[in-house]
Amino acid sequence: MSVLALGIVAIGAEWVTGSLSLVVMAVMLVSVVTIIWTAFMGGLDTRRALAPYGLLKPGVLWLALFFLAPLWSMLQMSLSTKESRFDFFPTFSWEWSNYTTAFGDFGAQFMRSFLYAGIATLLTLLIGYPLAYVIAFRGGKYKAVLLGLVAVPFFTSYLIRTLAWQNLLADSGPIVGVLDFTGLTTVFEAVGIMDNGKLMNTPASVIGGLTYNFLPFMILPIYVSLEKIDVRLVDAAMDLYSSASGAFRRVVLPMSLPGVFAGSLLVFIPAAGDFVNAQFLGNPNTTMIGNVIQDQFLRQLNFPVASAMSFVLMAIITVSVLAYAKVMGTDDLV
Amino acid sequence: MGTRRYLPNGRGPAYSRRDFLVRSGLVGAGALSLPALLAACGGESSSDSTTAPGGTGTKTLVFDNWPEYLDGETAAAFAADTGINFTYDETYNDNNEYFAKILPLLSQGKTIDADILAPTFWMAQRMLSLGWLQKLDRTKIPNAANLRDDLKNQSWDPNNDYSLPWQTGVAGIAYNIKATGREVKSVEDLFAPEFKGKVGMLTEMRDTLGLVLLGLGKKLDEVSTYDDAVEAFDKLEKAKNDGQIRQFTGNDYMDDLDKGNFAVCVSWSGDVLQLSKDNPDVRFVIPEEGGTSWYDTMVWMKGSQNGDAVAEWMNYVYDPANAARITAEVQYMSPVKGVREELVKLGGDVAALAEDPLLFPDDATLARLQSWGTLSEEEEAKFDERFSSIVGA
Repeated sequence: MSVLALGIVAIGAEWVTGSLSLVVMAVMLVSVVTIIWTAFMGGLDTRRALAPYGLLKPGVLWLALFFLAPLWSMLQMSLSTKESRFDFFPTFSWEWSNYTTAFGDFGAQFMRSFLYAGIATLLTLLIGYPLAYVIAFRGGKYKAVLLGLVAVPFFTSYLIRTLAWQNLLADSGPIVGVLDFTGLTTVFEAVGIMDNGKLMNTPASVIGGLTYNFLPFMILPIYVSLEKIDVRLVDAAMDLYSSASGAFRRVVLPMSLPGVFAGSLLVFIPAAGDFVNAQFLGNPNTTMIGNVIQDQFLRQLNFPVASAMSFVLMAIITVSVLAYAKVMGTDDLV
Repeated sequence: MGTRRYLPNGRGPAYSRRDFLVRSGLVGAGALSLPALLAACGGESSSDSTTAPGGTGTKTLVFDNWPEYLDGETAAAFAADTGINFTYDETYNDNNEYFAKILPLLSQGKTIDADILAPTFWMAQRMLSLGWLQKLDRTKIPNAANLRDDLKNQSWDPNNDYSLPWQTGVAGIAYNIKATGREVKSVEDLFAPEFKGKVGMLTEMRDTLGLVLLGLGKKLDEVSTYDDAVEAFDKLEKAKNDGQIRQFTGNDYMDDLDKGNFAVCVSWSGDVLQLSKDNPDVRFVIPEEGGTSWYDTMVWMKGSQNGDAVAEWMNYVYDPANAARITAEVQYMSPVKGVREELVKLGGDVAALAEDPLLFPDDATLARLQSWGTLSEEEEAKFDERFSSIVGA
């Protein structure tokens, strides 16, 4: 099993070339044959013992080919140097300066990405929790319909939905029109949401886009954890002289935390790496790290630095998720 | 996406501007995902354009061009006249972006689908230096003699062995008078506080930076080192940091200009002339300080087997009658001599174009246009790096 996975990683990452790849292929083939042979010759017990590995196989092989292999080649790339400006095959050379460049030159974009993603996560939580609560406890026979409505936007492409916001938020669009008409523009400008009469291409529109696009990822997990809660527990709390808010705080909220945790991760992680919202709804001062990585990859052709930035992003997200899990005490929750 | 096929016996589809505005968003969107895959995976294998040697099969031709840069009629007529299966794509939105898209393929010795591209002159020059272009068979392109004299003898390709200009144009300032509330005349208007957050600029460095340099009173052909341009870069960066600039865009700025999201923007003459046909509020001006002139040039890509079809196409569009039809649609300056006379012959609205100062500039206008000289690879890298730190960060 592990031999197979490693072999696939090696081939997927073009790690091995020429005769070496033949050896890897041969080893993989032998291991497959051995496993099958043991399974058939070893009788029922052996087959039972091997069954879990058999079930793991599709997942492991898939991840080996499409996750570990690219990851490995990107790691190599992030430590490579380019011979010339248009060199498509940078050479591996333990070039750690790519990482200092990634941090040094684009620190501001890293900070901004986490700030925007953080605000968007909070907003989705504030909007999503009450909604999930209502659907779970007050939805009645309309539960399925309401949940369906939450998922309906997914029927349209992510990109189209974001582009649609361009029209809605345009300077001559309906939303700005209403704000102008009601005089709210002055208020919005005062709190910094609008800027010189425009709603589009501001930090607010980027965060708004992120919030809108990732909202269902917050609602659905929270709904699932709320749905599991037995309503009679609330009744019991009330019987024990708890106030309604006390019952929510001490019974419902703690039991729904796994959903909040899952939802926050599902929103925060993709939002931090997102480049679509900043690209279509932002301005040159709202660039997020995803845009920088895209620019470095696709316009500057600076593959090493772009790879290094991807790794830094991944590392920061991993660390912050672990810290978050620690604070939330997820081990007890799940 | 953005592909139109012209079969010899059929008629090509026609697209309205509305379609284009919708599709331009989609093209931009597609450009995000596909090259990401290409670059990250070290290049997917492309469908290599393999034509049977000896030319036994039907001839094919693929032309990847900028949006709104050819009329459907000419494309369909070409396919019908020559019996060539002509595929016309509008996926060329930005020089650097397209370059990055094809680099993985060409540097691995693979071929791209397109036989012909029309990159801007400096990009064509880069492609030539990387050995990506094939030498044209000029004996099969007799009409190339119609090339405008001022476009001959370019330092990088003096005999036009590798390139033939497609269209030439001017980068200046476009404005939506509904959004500005006044006429715009000067480069300084791009930095006017009243337009804060409503200014668009191009990701095409030579046009955006060119105007800023002209605004500072520099001569473009004298700008050869980074130090010559550092003042302009600083000005641009300050404007960006102050929130003056709403967005840097590729060829997809027309939608924002149309809607008035951009009050003023750096833009290309022909685009705006086309757009102003539908929206009279949109206007184009060569600023007092001058504008930049540029040309996009047709090149035959390495690995393409369709040399005959390429030559036939180039010959076809260098026939003044065909060139005039293209000019009437795309509203850029034609590189072909005799187009003015052909436009007059066509009569009607089209004849008026023959007198348009942006299509056939008079000497006074020409004197206000400047073009970039050649930047060395090393200096260009410095320019690009600084520009990208302003645009992308």
